[in-house]
Amino acid sequence: MDLLGQYLINGLMLGTIYALVAVGFTLFFGVLDVIKFSHGDVLMVGAFTGFTAASAAAAIGLSHPLAQLAATVVFALAGTAVLGAVIAKWLILPLKTAPRLNILLATLMLGTALREAVRLFYPDGSNPKAFPALLPTTAWQFGNFTLRADSAILVVTGIAVIVGLHLVINRTRLGLAIRAVAQDEETARTMGINYTLIVLVTFALGSGIAAVAGVMDGLYYNEINFGMGLLLGLIGFSSAIIGGLGNLYGAILGGFLFAALQMIGAVAMPFASAYKDVFAFAVVIALMAWKPTGLIPERSSDRV
Amino acid sequence: MKSILRFSVGAVLSAALAAMPLVGASAKDTVKIAFIGPLSGGTASIGVGGRNSTELAIRLRNADPKAKYTYELFAQDDECKPNVGVQAATKAAADRKVIGGITHYCSAVAMSTVDIYHKFNLPVIVWGAVLPDITYGNDYKEVHRVNGTMINQNQVAADFMTKHGYKTWVILHDTTDYGKGHNTYFSKYLTQDGGKILATFGVTSDQQDFTAELTKAKELKPDVIYFGGLTPLGVRIRQQMDKLGIKAQFQGASGIVSDAFIEGLDNKLAEGTLAFREGAPVEKLPGGQYFMKEYEKAKFDQGADAYGPFAFAAANLMMDAIEKVGPNRKKVTAYLAKVENRDSIVGPITFDDHGQNSVAAITKYVIQDGKWVLWEDSEYASGERKLAGM
Amino acid sequence: MTQVLSRVPAFAVAAVTILLGLAFAIVFMEQESDVAVISLVALAAVAAWLGTRAGVADRVSAAAVERPGSIALLVAAAMLVLIGVFVEDHFPLLMLATVMIYGTVALGLNIQFGYTGVVNFAGAAFFGIGAYTSAKVVDSGLPAILALPLGAIFAALIGLLLVIPVVRTRGHYAAVVTIAFSVLFKTFLEVNDTLGGPQGLSVGSMKLFGWDFGDSPTFGDFEASFYLNYALAALVMLALVFVLVRRLERSWLGLSLDAVRLDETGAACYGIGIRRSKIFAFVLGNAIIGLAGALYGSMQGYVAPTSFTFSDSLILVAIVLLGGMGSPWGTILAAAIVVILPEKLQAIQEYRFLLFSAVVIAILLFRPAGLLPRGVRHYFPPLRKGAEP
Repeated sequence: MDLLGQYLINGLMLGTIYALVAVGFTLFFGVLDVIKFSHGDVLMVGAFTGFTAASAAAAIGLSHPLAQLAATVVFALAGTAVLGAVIAKWLILPLKTAPRLNILLATLMLGTALREAVRLFYPDGSNPKAFPALLPTTAWQFGNFTLRADSAILVVTGIAVIVGLHLVINRTRLGLAIRAVAQDEETARTMGINYTLIVLVTFALGSGIAAVAGVMDGLYYNEINFGMGLLLGLIGFSSAIIGGLGNLYGAILGGFLFAALQMIGAVAMPFASAYKDVFAFAVVIALMAWKPTGLIPERSSDRV
Repeated sequence: MKSILRFSVGAVLSAALAAMPLVGASAKDTVKIAFIGPLSGGTASIGVGGRNSTELAIRLRNADPKAKYTYELFAQDDECKPNVGVQAATKAAADRKVIGGITHYCSAVAMSTVDIYHKFNLPVIVWGAVLPDITYGNDYKEVHRVNGTMINQNQVAADFMTKHGYKTWVILHDTTDYGKGHNTYFSKYLTQDGGKILATFGVTSDQQDFTAELTKAKELKPDVIYFGGLTPLGVRIRQQMDKLGIKAQFQGASGIVSDAFIEGLDNKLAEGTLAFREGAPVEKLPGGQYFMKEYEKAKFDQGADAYGPFAFAAANLMMDAIEKVGPNRKKVTAYLAKVENRDSIVGPITFDDHGQNSVAAITKYVIQDGKWVLWEDSEYASGERKLAGM
Repeated sequence: MTQVLSRVPAFAVAAVTILLGLAFAIVFMEQESDVAVISLVALAAVAAWLGTRAGVADRVSAAAVERPGSIALLVAAAMLVLIGVFVEDHFPLLMLATVMIYGTVALGLNIQFGYTGVVNFAGAAFFGIGAYTSAKVVDSGLPAILALPLGAIFAALIGLLLVIPVVRTRGHYAAVVTIAFSVLFKTFLEVNDTLGGPQGLSVGSMKLFGWDFGDSPTFGDFEASFYLNYALAALVMLALVFVLVRRLERSWLGLSLDAVRLDETGAACYGIGIRRSKIFAFVLGNAIIGLAGALYGSMQGYVAPTSFTFSDSLILVAIVLLGGMGSPWGTILAAAIVVILPEKLQAIQEYRFLLFSAVVIAILLFRPAGLLPRGVRHYFPPLRKGAEP
């Protein structure tokens, strides 16, 4: 029972992180019909920005963990929002009319470029960095099962962000504009919505959420390294696909589903927990074979 | 007319550019020594330390007026990955101007490259890898090693831990040959000494999440968690142990004896970690003071770390060989086979019939106040502080 | 200048260009210092630009259309000369052989997405399958020459596992299938001890009818580097695959593949089996990649999971894109640039992934067609020698 509890908490944690990344993918696809493969690496940049901010805060004497945490989150959010918007303006928008393959490749390469840039130019970038433990570490024991405060806080925060996003998309004018652009670009334009602005804001929003996911990942594992974006991005994308691209709730569902798959894999194959990734991805590939556009199918029309 | 003029100007410019490479002086009498080690990645501090030490040896030799040749360092990064190491080794070995190699800290890489050195007849001296199979697993005359193997290390470790009263272990090891080697030897000696192994888990060398393994370990309530592997994983495992509330003693092998391990954890977590390493600490080595003084003078931007002295000794031995028999790979190999009781800063070096130097001393370390301290000098030995579970 | 050139037969222009290229290659491979290498690269860029302005490029492509066979033979001969010049040195031969092997892989990838539009981000994984097959075959005592066809067969078979998701999905979804497979492959190999685990396997050298590729061929007291064997084998393999690809393109099968890429619905309306074409292209491409992988594994003498990661797949895709999708000559040229330049410029070795990503992004933004773009298909071969196509 306690073993299960431990796995459950871990699964919830990972699921929240994956869901946050998947939401970004879905947002971008909904608005611009593109898959920005560099999302995972933008997340990594966010985590590093947060880390730098935390270290800088510590260096100038703000040693209270809450202050450092605030600095981390604010700078990570701001940094990735700007990065996301820049990428949208200079890479995605110009390539909007190019064949799908080109954007795919361009964003994949951008992701690689970001990863390598951090590895090469960040001081000691190729080594994992110890992310400071900024959350309270009191642990509560339920029998043999330990629940640490920081894990609980992270899960709650993640869910709060998702709920917040839901509210923004559905209850605000900005959200309305985003949904309009996602539905039909031309009509939205004729309705007076500033298309470019909305696109940039969407990218900034999605990237900011990714930054939160990155900081959460750093706080949970107490470590960030330059390669963390690749796998997270891929998992986030797979989760978005499982739930059906363009569907916000599908993305969240997909995130938790992927985490559940990983946990099942880990439990079923204790001798090599690395197999859990193989298992989870194999299931995703099988799912794609069965339902080529995800569990909640994408509705699209083709002009012949 | 105009286009022909433009074309000819372009052609002349191009010819001038092409002539540049042909103007170049080439120095004579230069002998290249290759250094291969992890210059990037989680174990970089050790690799860079080794490289700096080799460079120090070369600089000191070049400053010696009696040297017959000028030596040049050809440093390659193996990134602690076998395939990169193979490429680096091929590059070094394929270059005919490279006469000797000072190779490898990561055992996994060293295992994969021995065939290459043999194929190209390049004599190499290993300076940091501890897997016994590197010298004992083959009959290659080209491969030598100045540092000890993990056999001794694990023997002493098992003896020490059981004498201190620990009874049950959970073993985690990485799945490279290095980790598997530690698992094999430590398990063997531990069972001989009466310790009980409750479970063994293999983990990949870039694994991030150890929840599955550690949760099961927690169920079994061991006295000690032993980890056979390198620093990056050691850091993660120690942190996740704490996250899951595992209160066992953490014991590591020579792979975590590095500054990066302490830097990766905060002092509270690192405190009390035990580890064992072959070879004496620098200060206690015969030539240790000399080495440290010269290293300080050279003003490298990084310390020599744990295995720098061994790289230094290996480089000096290689250069001695070249001075004696000339820059010929086969002759150097023959010369190195006969090395017996040769003085060096790490003590007398003798290569047995497999090219292995025997290093008797095994140092026991414990982390105290954010530093690796010798067990004998520590407050744990004197009883002022207590290890976990004691 | 253009008028002067148009009076010279196109073939002669092409031949001279190839000879100049050969001379350049020989000088380039000899250089050691970074300064020399950079100046040579600058020189080549300048020469290429001048040449295009003066109309040389057009004449060369005209020659390639008129007499494709002779041009190909000329290039093959030039490669032989290049190999001959470096016959004693290990490293240049190793590089040349690697270029040719990567060129073969890129040709296989070209069939998949240059012609048919089936995106494959797992090129390195299939390459690795070929290499691991080679390792196992040589180890198990089977005649080593079987490693090559077996590598191709295994790569094709494992590719078949992916075929259903790849064929049923489109665009991004198809991409995710191959990306996931590529990432999976490395993890699968690492946890699996029967295939050597993270340590990898060492591969014995290839043996062909008793001639061990690992032995240096000696002629009298002239000892060639043993890489000569591999370089020659790679050249033969590349030549054969090149001929296959060209024939495929010119055939009605190639026409169908192009149709599938350009407009699936339209092609289906004309009775072209979409699924069949995609499966064919995917399997054939993977077989070629596996074949090249088998030779590579034997040449390197060592295979490990970390040699075949997703980033390596991305580099392969970059090669195809850089050369121009669907353009065999462009692919080979791009392979040469991508393999040799970082080796020569030690300074950029570390930065090579970063540089390649930046270059590919630049290409995608500004010149999506690549270095030697694939021209419009020539439906009718020239009727008479020298006639305009």
